[in-house]
Amino acid sequence: MPSVKHAVIAAAGLGSRLGHGKPKCLVEIEGVKIIKHLLSLLKDVEDVRVIVGFEEKAVISAIRAIRPDVLVVRNPGFRSTTTLHSYELGGRYIKGDCLFMDGDMLVEPESFAAFLASCEPGVAQLGITKTKTRDAVFLTREDGLAVSFRRDDPTEYEWANIAWLPVDYFADIGNTAVYEHLRQFLPIRTHEVIAYEIDSEQDLALARDNLHYFNLQALAG
Amino acid sequence: MYRAQQHALTLPAANDTGAVPGHKRGTGFAFDLDGTITRAELLPMIASELGLEAEMRLLTELTMSGMIPFEDSFRLRFAILRSAGLDRIQSIVSEVEFDPDIEQFIRENRDRCFVVTGNLDLWIAPLVERLGCRFYTSTATTDKDGWVTGLDTVMRKNVAGLELKDEFDRLVAIGDGFNDVPLFDVADIGIAFTGLHSAPDALVSVSNYVALDGKSLCRLLNTL
Repeated sequence: MPSVKHAVIAAAGLGSRLGHGKPKCLVEIEGVKIIKHLLSLLKDVEDVRVIVGFEEKAVISAIRAIRPDVLVVRNPGFRSTTTLHSYELGGRYIKGDCLFMDGDMLVEPESFAAFLASCEPGVAQLGITKTKTRDAVFLTREDGLAVSFRRDDPTEYEWANIAWLPVDYFADIGNTAVYEHLRQFLPIRTHEVIAYEIDSEQDLALARDNLHYFNLQALAG
Repeated sequence: MYRAQQHALTLPAANDTGAVPGHKRGTGFAFDLDGTITRAELLPMIASELGLEAEMRLLTELTMSGMIPFEDSFRLRFAILRSAGLDRIQSIVSEVEFDPDIEQFIRENRDRCFVVTGNLDLWIAPLVERLGCRFYTSTATTDKDGWVTGLDTVMRKNVAGLELKDEFDRLVAIGDGFNDVPLFDVADIGIAFTGLHSAPDALVSVSNYVALDGKSLCRLLNTL
């Protein structure tokens, strides 16, 4: 039995740094919306919840066309809260562990499947990826465990904004970034994935240069 | 005017074991009927059988978009349909298909599931038996022979919702239409259901979740 029964995708934000005027999960790469790519990665997860905020109507329509058994969770406070708040809303009422991820990335499917397969009940795990830009959350590791996060002085790996966590990690949250909240739970196990976050035009260009990873043509049309 | 005891069309007490006066229970679920539990809107379905489809469609569109208050709209719809015999309406209504996942959830939780509908008690009576839970409905007046003579009360869903809030610690509301906004307003958790058609923006704006089909809706309900 796979451990991952619940997954939350945070897709409420404005995506202003990319500046396409629409939620990042609706940005198309090779004719495939990012949300379609992410939902295909989660096709074997029974309970998938997508947190919507900015342009929620458009995001809901897109989800309905892709996978109508996805549950939409609204975050009306998306402009004044962080992704941490979306994760809390998405995980609320779920018991046990849940996969949390941001809705603005491309992930190599095999490495993602391996991440899912490595998730164990009650054992937190962070998805990490080779550092690609200076604007990321970098980790230091000891024996495969993440022991600290930092925003400056890049290390070999950055957090991929993918995490398998007990839902009660979000029982008491402030209005901080997710990694700042997770600091109290370090050290946390890590597992490498090949992931490209799309925060800016540069990120998008980098992802386009590495399209061979993502098998998007299988989802086009 | 609202009269509580006439708003609730209740099953015989033997089947309604949940309520204990003075004791609040855990979580209650208030479901809209048309387009949420049922896979078709009942009034347009009846109208189509009677050849009054166009009139009803216009009225439904105006109501769903919030142009006409639900109460006025219901009075107009009642006026259009009242000419039909009760037997005929009930036989049309009894054929309606339910969302299978929602039906199963209600059957498994019938002592804490409730139908809160603007529809008329006499028209939807066959569905009470099929679902086996308590209904809150609009009510009709009848003459001594059982003929519908007029509207007695038109459902205001916030009133039914507040009654259920007295009975439960937490109330979850599930609906798809403009007239569910007052129910969501008093509920602790609102779930807009878009299984049959998209929900109006006004309802989505006061909801916590949007469920796109019965499967994801019931998966959520089972965690609450």
